[in-house]
Amino acid sequence: MFENATKQLRETVEAALPELNTVVGWRAGYDPLHMTPVFIKNAGDLSKLEWSPFCVQNLSGYLVKDPAVRAQDPSKKIGICVKGCDSRSLVALIQEKFIERNQIHVFGIPCRGTVDWRRVMKLGPLTGIQSARVEESRLVVEDANGGHTFALEDVLARKCLRCAHPNPVIHDVLIGEPVTPRVAVENSYGEVERMEEQSLEDRLGFWKKELDKCLRCYACRNACPLCVCQDRCIAETREPRWLTQRVGTSEKFLFHFIHALHLAGRCTECGECERACPMEIPVTLIKEKLNKITLELMSYEAGMDPEAVPPLLTFNPGETGL
Amino acid sequence: MRIGVFVCQCGTNIAGTVDTQEVARRAGNLPDVAYATSYMYTCSEPGQQEIQRAIREKNLQGVVVAACSPRMHEPTFRRAVERAGLNRFMFEMANIREHVSWINNDREANTRKAAELVEMAVAKLRFNQPLFSSQISVNKRVMVIGGGVAGIQAALDCSDGGLDVVLVERKSSIGGKMAQLDKTFPTVDCSSCILGPKMVDVVQKDNITLHAASEVESISGYVGNFTVEVRKKATYVDWTACTGCGACIEKCPSRKVPDVFNENLANARAINIPFPQAIPKKATINRDYCLHFTKGKCGTCQKVCPTGAVNYEMQDEIVTEQVGAIIVATGYDLFDASVYGEYGGGRYADVISGIQYERILSASGPFGGHIKRPSDGKEPKDIVFIACVGSRDASVGRPYCSGVCCMYIAKQAILTRDHLPDTRVWVFYMDIRAPGKNYDEFVRRAQEEYGVQYIRGRVGKVYPKGDRMVVQGNDTLLGVQVEVEADLVVLATGIEASAGARELAEKLRISYDQYGFYMESHPKLRPVETNTAGVYLAGVCQGPKDIPSSVAMGSAAAAKVQALFSRDTIETNPQVALVNERVCISCGKCIQVCPFGAIQWKELRGGIRKAEVLPSVCQGCGLCNATCPPKAIQLQHATDNQILAEVNALCA
Ligand SMILES: Cc1cc2nc3c(=O)[nH]c(=O)nc-3n(C[C@H](O)[C@H](O)[C@H](O)COP(=O)(O)OP(=O)(O)OC[C@H]3O[C@@H](n4cnc5c(N)ncnc54)[C@H](O)[C@@H]3O)c2cc1C
Ligand code: SF4
Ligand code: SF4
Ligand code: SF4
Ligand code: SF4
Repeated sequence: MFENATKQLRETVEAALPELNTVVGWRAGYDPLHMTPVFIKNAGDLSKLEWSPFCVQNLSGYLVKDPAVRAQDPSKKIGICVKGCDSRSLVALIQEKFIERNQIHVFGIPCRGTVDWRRVMKLGPLTGIQSARVEESRLVVEDANGGHTFALEDVLARKCLRCAHPNPVIHDVLIGEPVTPRVAVENSYGEVERMEEQSLEDRLGFWKKELDKCLRCYACRNACPLCVCQDRCIAETREPRWLTQRVGTSEKFLFHFIHALHLAGRCTECGECERACPMEIPVTLIKEKLNKITLELMSYEAGMDPEAVPPLLTFNPGETGL
Repeated sequence: MRIGVFVCQCGTNIAGTVDTQEVARRAGNLPDVAYATSYMYTCSEPGQQEIQRAIREKNLQGVVVAACSPRMHEPTFRRAVERAGLNRFMFEMANIREHVSWINNDREANTRKAAELVEMAVAKLRFNQPLFSSQISVNKRVMVIGGGVAGIQAALDCSDGGLDVVLVERKSSIGGKMAQLDKTFPTVDCSSCILGPKMVDVVQKDNITLHAASEVESISGYVGNFTVEVRKKATYVDWTACTGCGACIEKCPSRKVPDVFNENLANARAINIPFPQAIPKKATINRDYCLHFTKGKCGTCQKVCPTGAVNYEMQDEIVTEQVGAIIVATGYDLFDASVYGEYGGGRYADVISGIQYERILSASGPFGGHIKRPSDGKEPKDIVFIACVGSRDASVGRPYCSGVCCMYIAKQAILTRDHLPDTRVWVFYMDIRAPGKNYDEFVRRAQEEYGVQYIRGRVGKVYPKGDRMVVQGNDTLLGVQVEVEADLVVLATGIEASAGARELAEKLRISYDQYGFYMESHPKLRPVETNTAGVYLAGVCQGPKDIPSSVAMGSAAAAKVQALFSRDTIETNPQVALVNERVCISCGKCIQVCPFGAIQWKELRGGIRKAEVLPSVCQGCGLCNATCPPKAIQLQHATDNQILAEVNALCA
């Protein structure tokens, strides 16, 4: 079934390509469980473009962070392929005026969930993977030892299992039919709720243990499409001196809470930070907690409406609910 | 840096529960501290000289004084270090009195806390930079918002002092509540006779511009240079042409319009001048009742107006006024008596409010000054006044005293007995509050000379019986239930913040209390100033008060403005935000959140934009700094590094 979608995607992109600078999409990676970003500039590259449940990456960050993508013929738009979650990053970037809506051409893809390769590898150590495909509610992988089948629920990314917005919230073209969301947003914070039930000591203990693993490699920040400060990020600047190079949990804690607070009311829960983390720290969970608060106090969901103003990016003396 | 630390004993205020010698000793061990001592009264003349001597002799580059609240003496010490040649911002204050010695008796804990506060101040001072203020010119025009007696007094006093005044009144006439009153306590002189001439003065002064039927739309700028947009509401009558002849009013066929000036005791016309002495005396059309607007036909007033002033096409107009200071005198509104269902206010025609009774008493009122009751126009034989309706009652969210009701009840009771000597008058009250000059004597006159029956106690219920009302209450002095049958019941409804007071406060960036009354800068020492430089208060908008106090406050605010305008320039406060352009990522978030519009884009070469703070507009609130992700924008004298240094000193 994904062959069809890929075909349709390629055809749609091909039709639009003359009007576009580049199209950012996905292509096959080093094994069938992995995809990698691709930048299509001419029709000759189209055969590389693919869509499958392994296209986990949120590509919208490239629009603001990659100078190669940004410095292009300004009279032409940039094409970008997005899933439901990724499209919300675009909306957030539009809201904050990092990109203009009319600068981009959005190929929106309704998504039934993406596969977290780490979960697959944990279920069955695989070697020499030859093929991987999703069939209905199963993942079928062939490796050197033969075929393996996994229930899709067991291998989907955490963010996908709680996905309330599988259909792109903005798009110029839609590839495929819209799908039904798994949960309503109000019901998507189960993990946060389970954390909340724990005692303060237990929660502190949990985060100390988790965050102590942090290498401060800043992969999470670099992967985040909304962490746009790059070299100026206060994790690295020493003026002002919020963080030092000292090793220790306190500095790690501080970094993660700075990151989370800078994303409060902005984070779209795309899960890139968590996916990028080499130490498998559930860092998106911190932002989920903040978003739950934002939803409860201010009835606001990030990245849904390009015209909306994120609640922490405005001064409204008549603010209610706080 | 070479730092000197002075730990003040404040007599025994601090030394009583803090070992100041020990605090000084510990301070002496801190990095960069070159000198530390304890002193009896640091703020005294010799105390200040001691600081200056130390600066010179020990070559100090920064000074910490551990003493009282910086709100008290920071300016004093800043001047002291400046006299010794230091920049005034190379000074920090640790509050070891209000925050330590006065709030706890444990000497050991106090000493430790004081030492830590000093350590924080030293840590911060090590990051301090000399800051310099600049001079900005002062626009010597003043705006007065609200044309009640307080605003009128302020406007006239400023005008007398030679200042240009812009008076903004939201109703179509100035005068405020006082214009609705009949006589005024305690002298019982006619309200419009004493207010009228002042109102006339307002239009006759060349240097007062009056915008009636107008409201403040937006305010930007800062002390000395405010820009105020005023919305002049469409009155559908060209006031430059209207002569106030009243021909239109006479002919207007829409006759069932509630007469707001007469507190709805009479009907007005859709085109109206609120009262004969109105200033300006100009007609206004009420769209909600005008047949031209509601039915699309009529046009009578346009036909009869001899000067052709009626203009149905009129639109609101925005005028921009530049002023250097603003006096707020927006007065009050009255509590809605229907909240007390048991009193029947708003339900029974003969249960009325105090202000309605003022209109009934007034010769220009709905009954020409004859006391009649609204239901059937009969002269009342028995009248009951109920005090504290919406005052001193936490259960309706009005725990405060309205300050004027006891007095106006006494006044109205006296006037009643003057008009109708046979009428019997009762007053149900909680306590009598009459602290002004000749006030208690006035109340006594009501009781002793005029035979008004004062019953101390709450009323439980008011209900109709035949064509009369029964007032049921208890007399707490006698400990008995009482029931009085009355023809008319007057509820002394309390004072509350004027409608829209909060919204105006947000525009002015001044604070208000939980009831919507504006907050003065200091309850005793700065009663007419607000915490926003250049904005002053007058009258009841700051809290309930009578006419003498409102007038005094109007004059006081005018005096403050005169003092401000006596200089040609004022110093800016350098404790404002500043952008480090190298760090700014041009995200624009600071611009978005700044409540004062103090940040704009600055274009650099190559079309690169960076945020830029207008130092004279910035109020130093720090919102931009909290929002800026890479912390490119820093509040001078409260930079991240300074705050982090304090936190680190405390947590180390
Ligand atoms: C029944 C009654 C009887 C009283 N009798 C006496 C008495 O005998 N003696 C005495 O000393 N005191 C008396 N008082 C108290 C007296 O009314 C007040 O002390 C006095 O009116 C206060 O004047 P002010 O200018 O502060 O407020 P106000 O008279 O309320 O004037 C405020 C003005 O500001 C205008 N305004 C409000 N908001 C805005 C806005 N956003 N923009 C522009 N304009 C605005 C209003 O329209 C109004 O014209 C009595 C009060 C009552 C209720
Ligand atoms: S913080 Fe994480 S989940 Fe949120 S937008 Fe950034 S990468 Fe996505
Ligand atoms: S963590 Fe904060 S400072 Fe760092 S890149 Fe993200 S938003 Fe910018
Ligand atoms: S918030 Fe900070 S980074 Fe963003 S424009 Fe303002 S100063 Fe620059
Ligand atoms: S501190 Fe920042 S947000 Fe506050 S007034 Fe100044 S510029 Fe505006």
